[in-house]
Amino acid sequence: MVDFIQNCLDGVMVGSSYALLAIGFTLIFGVMRRLNLSYGPSIMLGAFVGTLVYLEFQMGGFAVAVATVIGAVLAGIYVERLCFWAIRQGAAVASMVSSFAIWMQLEEIVTVFFPERTYPFPPLADRTAIEIGPFFLKLENLIMFACAAGLTVLLQVLLYRTRFGLALRAVSENPRAARFMGINIGRVTFWAFALASALGGVAAYLIIGTDAQITPLFGLWATFKGLIAMMLGGMGSIPGAILGGLLLGVVEAQSTWYLGTEYRDLAAYALLFLFLVFRPGGLMGQVAAERERAALRRV
Amino acid sequence: MLEVQDVVTAYGKIEALKGVTLRVGEGQITCLLGPNGAGKTTLMLTITGILKPRRGSVRFHDKDITGQAPGGIVRAGIALVPENRLVFPEMTVAENLRAGAYSRTGSAASEIANDMEAMYNRFPRLRERSTQMAGTLSGGEQQMLSVARALMARPKLLLMDEPSLGLAPMIVEEIFQIVRDLHKDGTSIFLVEQNAHMALQVAHHFYLLEQGRVTFDGTPGEMAEDEVIQRAYLGTRQTA
Repeated sequence: MVDFIQNCLDGVMVGSSYALLAIGFTLIFGVMRRLNLSYGPSIMLGAFVGTLVYLEFQMGGFAVAVATVIGAVLAGIYVERLCFWAIRQGAAVASMVSSFAIWMQLEEIVTVFFPERTYPFPPLADRTAIEIGPFFLKLENLIMFACAAGLTVLLQVLLYRTRFGLALRAVSENPRAARFMGINIGRVTFWAFALASALGGVAAYLIIGTDAQITPLFGLWATFKGLIAMMLGGMGSIPGAILGGLLLGVVEAQSTWYLGTEYRDLAAYALLFLFLVFRPGGLMGQVAAERERAALRRV
Repeated sequence: MLEVQDVVTAYGKIEALKGVTLRVGEGQITCLLGPNGAGKTTLMLTITGILKPRRGSVRFHDKDITGQAPGGIVRAGIALVPENRLVFPEMTVAENLRAGAYSRTGSAASEIANDMEAMYNRFPRLRERSTQMAGTLSGGEQQMLSVARALMARPKLLLMDEPSLGLAPMIVEEIFQIVRDLHKDGTSIFLVEQNAHMALQVAHHFYLLEQGRVTFDGTPGEMAEDEVIQRAYLGTRQTA
């Protein structure tokens, strides 16, 4: 029992970073109804900018975090202009396919400038743990969780207390009606991308910081984790993204403990498979879709 | 106040509007009748700047607004109550109203709060439901919200695209009462309708749009006498 609860604690903390990635995915999907496969790779590029600052200027912690976020935002905007804005009249699948192409391009760019496989990254914290009763909490995990929770609260304030937040939600709910209010969809989309990339940049800094090393494969990893967490929660739903991220973290932690590390990803895919079969809308997505349909039917 | 001059709007090769000319007078209720697919909604989308016309011009208060961005047209004083209401279902009634005031960058928060208060006074049922999600409202309430949301932009001209569509007859009466009240308070209204009987009770001027062309232009009296309209839209029996 103690093990099980310990795994849940670990899972929730690691899952909080998945939740950030999933929120990033879901923000972009929400305003555009288009999938950005290049999300992971663009924040990976940002993390390499962070590494560059770390290695070249011997700066640690905060400067690396800022560099990572700036790099991720710039790469995100690049993806938005090229794969989404430029072909906004085209089919949704065209955006998805071109975001895949840009994924390859970003990976190649990184490998050209960073030819070795792994590079060091400033660790998030020293490897200490806090003991509470029978449980251990790793300091780095606590920092990760605190940052993720804080950002989620900030995001909530941004979405529900500001003009930009109102516009962003209006566009995700009904882009057509949003245009009638005079909301500039292109501009909202642009800033949603920048926001999602910034969140992704922070997530990347936290996750790579706990590993203390980075490889170009982080892009693939981040896209997978974010995509799975988003689909578990329901595409386009922020509460869903948070729940999906935490659920994915807990399932991974449990399967690592009881089955072994080699089963961790298998368990995640099995979970996704079960959701796709039995609850394809995810934890929250179905509810929203049904309510939307019901609202239109009402007389 | 609104002059549409020889407007052609096309989707690809298909021309939905084939040279539409009409005008909406200040302080009047102007009604656009027409069957499905005649181009009524296309005209609304062209006026609001969502669609760019291939030819022709739209003038508002003697200023050319053809091809302006939707935001600019809302700021110029034209707001649309869209077909099917299109409220934001997962936002509260109050948030829907605030979204309606999105383009009013110059207004202070207190001014917008006052206008929201005015909407709640005009539509007391919206006040009761102000913290409810708009998607949980009944169809009639959603239509009221959609009207109130458009009014939050403080339009001089209100476009209404089939406000009675899909609503129960009693609710339709209520919606037309709102149209009358708004007109009395000085808002000019351009109304798209299929319900000619109801429209006949409120409108000052009629246009009939068929297959992208204006085929009738006249007063309610002239309309009631037009044989074709009588048969097609008013359903009155022909004698002899």
